[in-house]
This record gives sequence, C-alpha cells and structure tokens, in this order.
Amino acid sequence: MESESPTETKKGKSKTPKKAKESILKQKSPAEFFAENKNIAGFDNPGKCLYTTVRELVENALDSAEAISELPVIEITIEEIVKSKFNSMIGLVDRERVDEELYDDYETAKAREKRLAKEARAQEIQAKNAALGKKVKEHAVSKSSKGRGEASFYRVTCRDNGRGMPHDDIPNMFGRVLSGTKYGLKQTRGKFGLGAKMALIWSKMSTGLPIEISSSMRGQNYLSFCRLDIDIHRNIPHIHLHEKRDNKDKWHGAEIQVVIEGNWTTYRSKILHYMRQMAVITPYAQFLFKFVSDAPDKNVTIKFARRTDVMPPVPVETKHHPSSVDILLIKRLIAETSKQNLMQFLQHEFVNIGKPLAERLIGEMGPDFSPKMAVKSLTDQQIVRIHQLFRQAKFDDPSGDCLSPAGEYNLRLGIIKELHPDMVATYSGSAQVFEGHPFIVEAGVSVGGKDVKQGLNIFRFANRIPLLFEQGGDVVTRTALKRISWNNYKINQTQDKIGVFVSIVSTKIPFKGTGKEYIGDDISEIASAVKSAIQQCCIQLKSKIVKKMQAREQQERKRNLSKYIPDATNAVYDVLKEMAKSHASKKKRYEEGDADILRKVSDHLITKETLYEKLTQHVEKVDYEMALEYATQTGVREEPREDIYLQSLDGKDNFFDFHSPIFVFRLFL
Amino acid sequence: MADKKKRRRADSDSDSASQPFKNLLKSDAQILQILKSVTSSSSSSTSKPLTLADLALSSTCREVSDLSLSSVQSTIESLVLQLTHQILSGQGFSFTVPSRSSSNQLYVPELDRIVLKDKSTVRPFSHISSVRKTTITAKILSLVHQLCLKNIHVTKRDLFYTDVKLFQDQVQSDAVLDDVSCILGCTRSSLNVIAAEKGVVVGRLIFSDNGDMIDCTKMGMGGKAIPPNIDRVGDMQSDALFILLVEKDAAYIRLAEDRFYNRFPCIIVTAKGQPDVATRLFLKKMKTELKLPVLALVDSDPYGLKILSVYGCGSKNMSYDSANLTTPDIKWLGIRPSDLDKYKIPEQCRLPMTEQDIKTGKDLLEEDFVKKNPGWVEELNLMVKTKQKAEIQALSSFGFQYLSEVYLPLKLQQQDWL
Repeated sequence: MESESPTETKKGKSKTPKKAKESILKQKSPAEFFAENKNIAGFDNPGKCLYTTVRELVENALDSAEAISELPVIEITIEEIVKSKFNSMIGLVDRERVDEELYDDYETAKAREKRLAKEARAQEIQAKNAALGKKVKEHAVSKSSKGRGEASFYRVTCRDNGRGMPHDDIPNMFGRVLSGTKYGLKQTRGKFGLGAKMALIWSKMSTGLPIEISSSMRGQNYLSFCRLDIDIHRNIPHIHLHEKRDNKDKWHGAEIQVVIEGNWTTYRSKILHYMRQMAVITPYAQFLFKFVSDAPDKNVTIKFARRTDVMPPVPVETKHHPSSVDILLIKRLIAETSKQNLMQFLQHEFVNIGKPLAERLIGEMGPDFSPKMAVKSLTDQQIVRIHQLFRQAKFDDPSGDCLSPAGEYNLRLGIIKELHPDMVATYSGSAQVFEGHPFIVEAGVSVGGKDVKQGLNIFRFANRIPLLFEQGGDVVTRTALKRISWNNYKINQTQDKIGVFVSIVSTKIPFKGTGKEYIGDDISEIASAVKSAIQQCCIQLKSKIVKKMQAREQQERKRNLSKYIPDATNAVYDVLKEMAKSHASKKKRYEEGDADILRKVSDHLITKETLYEKLTQHVEKVDYEMALEYATQTGVREEPREDIYLQSLDGKDNFFDFHSPIFVFRLFL
Repeated sequence: MADKKKRRRADSDSDSASQPFKNLLKSDAQILQILKSVTSSSSSSTSKPLTLADLALSSTCREVSDLSLSSVQSTIESLVLQLTHQILSGQGFSFTVPSRSSSNQLYVPELDRIVLKDKSTVRPFSHISSVRKTTITAKILSLVHQLCLKNIHVTKRDLFYTDVKLFQDQVQSDAVLDDVSCILGCTRSSLNVIAAEKGVVVGRLIFSDNGDMIDCTKMGMGGKAIPPNIDRVGDMQSDALFILLVEKDAAYIRLAEDRFYNRFPCIIVTAKGQPDVATRLFLKKMKTELKLPVLALVDSDPYGLKILSVYGCGSKNMSYDSANLTTPDIKWLGIRPSDLDKYKIPEQCRLPMTEQDIKTGKDLLEEDFVKKNPGWVEELNLMVKTKQKAEIQALSSFGFQYLSEVYLPLKLQQQDWL
C-alpha cells in the first residue's frame, strides 16, 4: 500500500500553485492534470474506467499482502446501482420529465412514425421467416441512444488481508496524486502512485461521492475508517470522516469502496479475463469476484481458488546500474547520498562498481577528479563527464537477484489450474539486460484444454500483472505469430488449442504508449529473449508430442496393418487364380517351384484364406517385435511427478486417524 | 481459294497504323522461300538419336521400353509368384520400387533430357508408413494383369473407380501406376492404361488412327483430338514446313480459325497447358517421322518456359520414359521477354511477376536444360530483371488477328527463334 507521512512533501512534485497576481501564467496541480488527461492512466471511457479501477485495486491488494508475505485473499465486488437508488444515495429527488422536448432522446412525431413503420416491417419479415420455418434471429431491440443521463453507476469494493495502512497516513495515500511508496528502483506492479487516486478522481468526476477506506495493521487493536475525497485544485485530501473503530476479529488488511460511473455490459468480458489471467499468474492467491445487480440472472460469482502456498520472494529494492542513469538522476543521487567522497559514492550508490573499478573510473574521468573529492562539490560539467563515462564504459550486467519472477512452478500451476491443458511446458530464462535494467522472461506453452479456442491464445504478463489491451503491437504476440515455426514442433498453429504465456519482470518494463498496455516489438534484447523462451517450451513439448504420436502408433499399428490384409491378398490371389487357369490349360509353362504353387492353387490347397492367414501371422510377429523394441527403447520411464497442493481445512482438531502399516487416513468430522 | 479471299478482306479492314511492324512484312511467297530453306537444312542434318547405352550410362540409369502385352503379363506373373513365395514363407511381402524423387533424377546434356538414376526403395507391407502404398501397388498390378488378359485399354479414371475406397484419391492411383511402370520396366502405354484426351492437332497432317485415315485440314475449327494410344497411330504424311507448338487453347483457336496452316503450311498442336503423355508421344512421333522443325509459342513467363522444357527434356515425374516422351530441338519462337519491348507491347498488357513467379524463374536459371542454351538464359535473365510477364493474348491489344497476321509471319520471316 502506498504510504507517506503527511508532513513530508515528495520531491517538490506536489507544488501548490502560487497566487500570481498579474501574470496570466497558470499552474496546474498534478491532480488537475490527471483529471484532465485521465486516459493516460487508463481511464478513457466509463467502461474502461470500471476495468482500470478494479485492476488498480486488485494490484494494490496483492502488493500489500505480498509485502508481509501473507498468502493473498482478495474479495472484489462490483455492485450495480440503478439511477433512482443512486439519486437517493446522494440525496437527490427523482424527478419526472416535464418538458419532454427538452431532452436529447425526445422523439418527434415524424421520427416516431418512421420508427413504427420500420418496426412493423421488421415484424412482417420476421413473421414471414417464421412461417417459412427459417431460423428466426433474435430481433435486436432497437437501442434508444443512451444519453449521458442514463449512465450506470457501480460500487466497487476490494478487500484484502494485506499489511493495511497506518492510521495517520491514510488521507495522504488516497488524497494526493503522485505520492507513493513505490518510487524506488524495484520490481513493482504499480509505479507512479496513481491507481487508487485516479479511481477517486474519477468517482469525484462522475458521481461526486467520496471514497471509503477501512484498514487495520497486524496487531493493531483498532480499525481505521476514513471517508475522504480529493481537492483537485490543491492536490490535497479532503477528509469527511477519519476515526478509529473496534477491530473485533483481529482482521488486518484494507477494504476500499468507491462509487463510480462505469459500463459493465461492454467491459464484462475484459474484467473477467483480467481476473482469470491474474489467477494464472498468482496461483498462490485466492480471489473472490462478485457482480451484484438487481437482475439476478446477470449476477456473477467466481471463486479463483488457491493452488499453492509457494509465494515468489518479495522483490528487493536495488541500486541503479551505471549504464541506466541520466544526469538528473545522478544529481538526485548526489543530493540524497550520505557518502562524503566520490570514491565512496561510486561504490555505494551503484551496482557493479567495486573498489578497483571505481579507482579506474575516477582515473579515466580526468585530472580534475580525485577519489577523495567531496561528492557534493561536483560541478555540472563534472557530472556531465561522469554521465558520459557511464554511457561508454563497460560494466558487468546487473544481476536478476532483485527481481521476483512468478517462477516456473507457479506459472505451470496457474496454467494447469485455469486452462486444464493436455500438455504444458514452462521455461524460465536467465536474467538479461536492457538499458541497465535487468529483466527475466518466463514462458509457458500449453496444448489443448477446456474453454480454449483453436489457434494461438496469448497471455501476456508484465511484472506479474496481465496485459489485455493493444495485443497486436506487443512483442509477445508478434513473436508467437511471426517468429515461431510451430510446425517444427509438431504443433498445428491453426488447429491445435495453443496457449502461450509470457511473463516479463523487470525493474523497469519498457511499456509503449501512455497506458501500461503493451511492450513494443522494437527492443531486440526482449524480442530475442521472448523468442528463445517460447522455443524452449516448444522443444519440451515436441518430445512429449512425438512420444504421444509414437505411443498412438504403437497402439494402432496392428490395426492399421491388418486393415490392408484383405485388399493385398485379394490382389495377389486374383492374379494367381488366372495363372492357375492358364497353367491348367497348359497355355504356359512355369518353373518347377512356381508350377507347384499354381497346382496347389488349382487344387484349392492354396486359397485366399491361406494367404490371409500367413500375412496375418506375419503382421502379428512384426507388431510383437516392434512393440518389444519400443519398450526396450523407451524403458519404464515415468513423467516427473508434480506436487499437489491440498487446501488446508479450517477445521478444528476434530478427526479420527485410521492407521495402516503404510499410510494414515485422517477423517475430519 | 476461300481463305485467300478471307485474308484479303482482313487486310483491307485492318489499319496498318494500329498494327505496328506490318510494313516490315515481305510477301508470303518470300517468307515461304525462307522457311523452305530452313526446313530442308534441318531435315537433312538429323542423325540417329543417342541412347543411354551409347553413353555407357545404362548401368547407372534406368529406362523403360515398350513391351508387348504378353511380356507385361509374364513380368507381372513372375513378380506375383515371387510375392506368393514370400507370403507363404511367412515373411510378408515387399516391392522394390525405383525412386522417382527429384534427387534420383539426372539431366544428361548429351541426350538433352532428364533420365532416372538407379536408386530404389523397398516398399514393405509390414511397415506402417508403406502398408497403404504396397497394397495399392498390388491392386494396380492385378488390375493391369486383367487388362493384359482381356487386351483392352482403360483410362486412369477407370482404374481409380475400380476401388475408390482403397485408392481414396486419383492422385494416389496415378502415382502408383507410374511406380508400376518403373517396376515392370515398361512404358505406361504398354500397361494399356491411357489418360483422357487433352491435346488437339490441326493443319497439314494426314495420319491413320486405328485404321481410319484422318486429314487434319478437314477437321473443322477444333481440330482432331490426339489419340491416347499412340500405338494405333501411323502412316503420317505431311507437306508442312514446320510444327507450331502452342501453349494455350485461345491462341490455338485463333490460328485454327484463321487457317494459318494454309497460308504457311504447318501443323499446329496444343495440349492446353501442361502436356499430357499422349501429346508428347504424338509430337515425338511427328518429329521423328516427318523430320520437321518444331517452333513453340508460349507465354512470356516462367511457366511457359517450363512447359517448353517438359516437351523438350521431359518431366521429373516421368523421367523413366523420357526417351519416348521427349522431342529434342524445340525452338523458342515466342513470346520471349525481349519481344515485349521489340514489339512495343503496351504497359497495360504486361503483368508484374509475383514473388512466386520470380522464384520459379530463378530456379529455372539453375536448371541444366536452360543453361545449355545461352539464348534462353539471356531471355530468362531479362524476364527476372524486368519482373514483367505477358501472355500470348497480350498481342491482341493490336487487334485479335495481330498474332496470325503480323507477329507470326514476321517472326518466321526473320527466323527469330532460339
């Protein structure tokens, strides 16, 4: 969870506008900027806003639980609020329309005539079709154009079992844009401290309702409750209520509730996809997703159960790699460092600079640098020189130790759990580097499964969050479609149900475009890492597929061979019969061995059945030999076993043990 | 006489401005004189064709020959007896089939045709990958045996329909039929299996088909269908000066309707695209019996040249019988890539070559039968370089009869062939 002590202002980013008297120069608060450009943060339209709100809340919840190494349990509820209910919520009286013509969707007499005529025609056609026994298509109800007044509202609630937030920090964590705990160099889901605040800004823009937060930290005997909204012009929280309440169940975590305008109909599938893919990449979490509305048939409840209790390690914050810093960043590091001289500064503020290297670097910088010089006294020119050297010098690549990939085990489990594929292979690449930032590519390829469509199904993850939009330009999509020759791995790109999962983690994911939606195809380091990871999976699959094909061949060989015996014997026997005839009539002379056969054919000692039997015996012999050979070749090899995770029961110690010499059977009551 | 009148009318109608190069044409009599001299020189220079044995290649290369029905029958019978011995001894059975894959083909420059090398593959019944083909081979053998006994001809289609369930697809029974020819060492015609009629011939040719005398000048516009069983064709007579091989039906119809063969005595043949066995055999027979030069009129694209090469050097699929199927010394008359500019064929009638076309063109440049003719290499290089192709019909942009009225006469007059 994002936290910040309210007294400290972060790096001057949240400047309050000064009151300029005569200047027409205006300043904007960050909150104002994001309110006006909300598409940057993925709040393009009501539907997308609903999706992004869910997404931001879920990701914050996961981060929060993982931060205290707690297996995440997350409940997300979307509740549809009809207009009248919404009005009563905000204390507005529902008013009937008086002046009908005032409204945008008012139908003039002419338009009405037209519509009725059209509907009558449509009905006529339908009746005709029905009479002809044609398949009657569901007649699309002519949609009345939805005016802005018809907006739908949703209450989104997200509850987790995470760290919770300190009582006093809560207002700033939600009411101040661009303040957060995730600014360090570290693999995180969120980055800019925008998510929850954007949801709040959107709710303020669309409904005017405040956000409600309940939170409690571990071992805290009270529960913080806060209702607040944001003062957009000043970028500060506007607190309605902030109090401590009883925490009877010793609960820790956070529950955030926000009411926003949205569109469930159009973004339903996106939201469900998001939840499903999140479940794939975080199989150690348990999600409960609910959609509640007045129409019971529209309600959705999905539980994504936990499949493992192995959690990836918490990513650690790391220092900057010299080749990834810019001048501004060097200046900031100098301002923040506790080290006195240049030598210590280089050694301690960057990764992969040891003492010998630091000495060599300082020597290379020029005569006006020395190891003992005070780092705070560096001039602008000198800093530029350091930056230039950092760009050109050779450094060891940063290690991937600071990263926390999902892990092959988790990825595999996630795939198996959500897709139930026939076959799955996973691969985890070693850490590689792009512009000084380490990254790890993990991939999984599955074949078959339920609810999987034919062809390629691509699932993309960046820093363990699913990416759903802008699929076309993404490096993973393009690699899987264009640079993998599936045929080489005995996989049919159009017929088989192929699942391709690629997860990329990095301290900095090079997203393209404004939203965190896709990773460009122009970074060759990432493109080649993705390609080789997918290929590695395919190689594993190929051997499995080939084995399967061989096994099938083994099983069906006898049948496939035997199938042709009648045709073959008939063909041979037909010729023999004709020959026997001409032999009997002495038309032609044959050698002794051949003549003997023909005589036997004439005397019915060799018949079609004789040939059939001999050929069948031969096929059986061959089949036996080949089966034996196959068995000796493959040996009694077993697939590697996978651990299965049995969910522990919350039951008390109320059980019987049935003992046997080799196992214990425990029956819970 | 009637045609002369017709031609004169055509002459007066056509505008010489819209038919470029028409003024270059000499009188028909002069052109005929040129052609006569060519024909007499070519017919006198023909020598006995070389064989594999002449080149001491008979041991490393495989060739089939025409066999009589009875010898085909006895070859099949001894093969079947072998199979029976194998089956009865409990070893299953297998065929040894000469490989017809492209790696087993060899172009022999001295012969100017593709021949089959001696590699063979074993086709055992008791292997999952070959059981099907082996069964089909046995079935075809037994069917051909029946044909021998009854002494009748059937088409490939007939053969396929004897057991659709086993063959599944005519392509499969056709392929095995070629295998059987190779196994038995005889030509496909010796198996008494023929393909449906495809090729047609029209012009100054008289021959007997199954005893009936056919005059190809009196066959109407469509001409005479080339008989599928060449062994019943004989007694060829002709006063033609050359044989004109046409790739396409459309150009053939134009020439036949204009009775081009009466203006310049010739025989016009087409197989409507890729030539079938009967047309190739027929052309070969005409060439050897009448000793006439063969001029080819094909599209200016890689496939035109490919078709030309099939007539000339044989196809890879039937290289085992290339001695009987190929007609050496076919001249490339047109339409050649250089003609596009020479005859000022307008841009809108030329087509850009596709990637596939260019690839085929480049592949052809690697083929030995193209390389042996420097003129062809030059033309093909030009085609690949300009990336333009044109069909024979492109000439119609100067009038439908430009082909027969101007282009061909001019080509003949200039002896413009390679």
